[in-house]
Amino acid sequence: MSNALNHIRESAWRTFEVDGLPSSRDEDWKYTDLSRIAAVLGESWWSAEAGEAVSADDYLIPDLNAYRLVISNGVVDLAASEIPDAITITPLAALLQDDPDAAVELMLDDSDAPFASGVTALNSARASDGYCICVASNVKLDRPLHILHLSSGGAAHIRTGITIGNHAELEIIEHFAGSDSAAGVTNSLTAIRLAAGAKCEHYRLQLESGKQWHLGRVEVNQKADSSYTLHAVELGSALSRVDVVDDLNEPGAESELNGLFVLSGRQHVDHHTRVAHEAPHCRSRENYRTVLDGRSHAVFNGKVVVAKGAIKTDSAQSNANLLLSNRAEIDTKPELEIYNDDVKCAHGATVGQLDKNQLFYLKSRGLSEEEAKQLLTFAFADELLAKMKSRAVRRYIERAAFAKLPNLSGLEGILV
Amino acid sequence: MSEVKNKEKVEISAQEHASREYEAGFVSDIEADTLPPGLNEDVVRHISAMKEEPEWLLNWRLEAFRHWQTMTEPHWAHVSYPPIDYQAVSYYSAPKSMKDGPKSLDEVDPKLLETYAKLGIPLREQEWLAGVAVDAVFDSVSVATTFKGKLKDAGVIFCPISEAVRDYPELVQKYLGTVVPAGDNYFAALNSAVFTDGSFVYIPKGVRCPMELSTYFRINAMNTGQFERTLIIADERSYVSYLEGCTAPQRDENQLHAAVVELVAMDDAQIKYSTVQNWYPGDENGIGGIYNFVTKRADCRGHRAKVSWTQVETGSAITWKYPSCVLRGDHSVGEFYSVALTKMCQQADTGTKMIHIGKNTRSTIVSKGISAGRGNQSYRGLVKIGKDADNARNYTQCDSLLIGDKSGAHTFPYVEVKNATATMEHEATTSKIGEDQLFYCQSRGISEEDAVNMIVNGFCKDVFNELPMEFAVEANRLMEVSLEGAVG
Repeated sequence: MSNALNHIRESAWRTFEVDGLPSSRDEDWKYTDLSRIAAVLGESWWSAEAGEAVSADDYLIPDLNAYRLVISNGVVDLAASEIPDAITITPLAALLQDDPDAAVELMLDDSDAPFASGVTALNSARASDGYCICVASNVKLDRPLHILHLSSGGAAHIRTGITIGNHAELEIIEHFAGSDSAAGVTNSLTAIRLAAGAKCEHYRLQLESGKQWHLGRVEVNQKADSSYTLHAVELGSALSRVDVVDDLNEPGAESELNGLFVLSGRQHVDHHTRVAHEAPHCRSRENYRTVLDGRSHAVFNGKVVVAKGAIKTDSAQSNANLLLSNRAEIDTKPELEIYNDDVKCAHGATVGQLDKNQLFYLKSRGLSEEEAKQLLTFAFADELLAKMKSRAVRRYIERAAFAKLPNLSGLEGILV
Repeated sequence: MSEVKNKEKVEISAQEHASREYEAGFVSDIEADTLPPGLNEDVVRHISAMKEEPEWLLNWRLEAFRHWQTMTEPHWAHVSYPPIDYQAVSYYSAPKSMKDGPKSLDEVDPKLLETYAKLGIPLREQEWLAGVAVDAVFDSVSVATTFKGKLKDAGVIFCPISEAVRDYPELVQKYLGTVVPAGDNYFAALNSAVFTDGSFVYIPKGVRCPMELSTYFRINAMNTGQFERTLIIADERSYVSYLEGCTAPQRDENQLHAAVVELVAMDDAQIKYSTVQNWYPGDENGIGGIYNFVTKRADCRGHRAKVSWTQVETGSAITWKYPSCVLRGDHSVGEFYSVALTKMCQQADTGTKMIHIGKNTRSTIVSKGISAGRGNQSYRGLVKIGKDADNARNYTQCDSLLIGDKSGAHTFPYVEVKNATATMEHEATTSKIGEDQLFYCQSRGISEEDAVNMIVNGFCKDVFNELPMEFAVEANRLMEVSLEGAVG
């Protein structure tokens, strides 16, 4: 191992040892408590053992015509993957072995991620595998790339770097799933760099087992006129915390962040997003929706920062929350930080229940109370699903989401 | 541009001269020396002794002081300032003598009078504000006496809090610190330990206070202290409208202000609390200016109680203020209307908290922020809907208007909902003054400055409409005067 790599590993580990995991005293972790993780996964939870590996065939998305990269319990499984020729994919384990300097670059990325919090420090210290994707300039992959993260419990620290060249295009489906044979923790850090004019459509589907803790971070760095779209879906895991950091660094960059949580039982999901407008003429849109049933708890913290000089910024954010149960809880905080007068920024947040007038209308048309509620809940969530361009993914998520809510089977007929 | 700059200077120097002897001009029954700077238990005891306070209040102060010593100053607000040396502050100073004040308006700085004229302040009040000696404005004393008689007939108690401690100890003891506990936060604890004055209001059951209670008429309580403590109790079915502060620029040598305001509303009671704050904001480089760290909270203890906060904040170098409502009673209502203006190097971190506990509680938040020059301002709010707050309803709107590319506007709204029948809406927008609006006005022959004033006043209208009428008129003018020099 190279010295530089060793150095990063060690200092990250020291950071983790000293700071530990963030606690609810940290403003950014006010509503999400990780302190129970050791009780659930054992003292050395960061190196917990996985159960028996699961087969990728059980977790494919029907009708999805895509290339595939399978990562099983934190290790890239090339045998189960179907790698396209047009782009380069290098597993991190191979990089660590053969080209530590390249691994260092991937680890450090050009951000403060290695030490942003105890969670990312741990990732920097322990990441043993992951992958590095390079899309050369002007390349457009003919099919999407399905990145299937499979877990059967245990701890997995995965580091991913995706670089998309000038005017290149990539559609990726990051899909987290697995069995509940053992409790586990997924710690995933994905850094995406978009060069000028590059485009990325990013589906991030979190359907892990109810025994899994999910800690994720997505870092996006955008150059001029690039475009990034995220569809974050949270259906699985016991506790999930995802940080999305999107820097619009050059003029004309555009970003769209969409998020849908459908939660039940005692699930806890927390998304913190930070969109930084660093350059003039950038545009960002953010749209998060949550449906909460049972005793679930959702947290949304969306921050938009407009730097001095980032004139003609156009930013809008909305967060709508539907509470289906009196024991569910939502904490939302849409934030704006603006240091410049030539901007157009807006945000909105709502919490509520199904509209009584709409329910009445549907009932007057002969639907039962139950059916009317199902239909309106579906419509609420579907507004976000409709933004997904991939029909196969949309259908897959619709089915998975509505399987979670009781009595929604009646909707079978109206799904796409 | 240079003309505009001059105007700003005029205004600042006016502020410097304003109320130079602001604390003067009223009857004072306390003879005391100024305490040397520093804070320890002896100082707290001294203040208490000076005010001839009962044992329980001294103990309460001491407890607050001991608690304060264990606390650390909060730094989460989006403001920056050099560290405050709490030992360098003098915690008690005798009211200044009126003899040093000007004898009549002829001796008052004409620039100051110009500012008063712009604000449309009546002559008598001008004299009072400029600190003209009391015998010269004897009229206002008789006015105040007339009002006092009227209030007495209605059974309303309105007096300085130290007087209330003496005359109505049971009432004070029953309510003091029940809304903002002594150890609530760093500045509230400090205030609890060393507060020297403030107002006390009690409206008995079923009484509608016959007039708006304003500090203008608080002849005996004009000593706007550094650590003010206000306690207002509206008993069942009563109504009171309380006006605090005034639009005229006020200068105070005390940089640190940490006031506490407690409101208690019982069944069917209504309290309307309006504030206009125009403390010295410091110069254009951010030198000087008041630190205004205020804790204001209302407790809607009874069913169907209603509390409405309206504030116009244009002064102070730093404002740190969150008038809040605890909606405990069923069907209680909380309202917050705010206009905050930051210019030059002013910083404001202000907003509200609406804590829904009772069923069918409603709250409305309308916050308008205007940031000009190098001003920075944040809306920080919390809407919390508890488990049992069935059918709670909140509507929040916070808009920011930016003038100049060095200004900043920030929004930090916290929303915590634990009840599925609750409805909460939050909207926020940030933009600059529309160029098309400005162009339209200018094409009709309106100067740029007037056009900006018109647009700003339109922007603030929702809040100004909530102010008592005479305040609203002044607030409009205040915005105009404050924005002078900020545009261009």
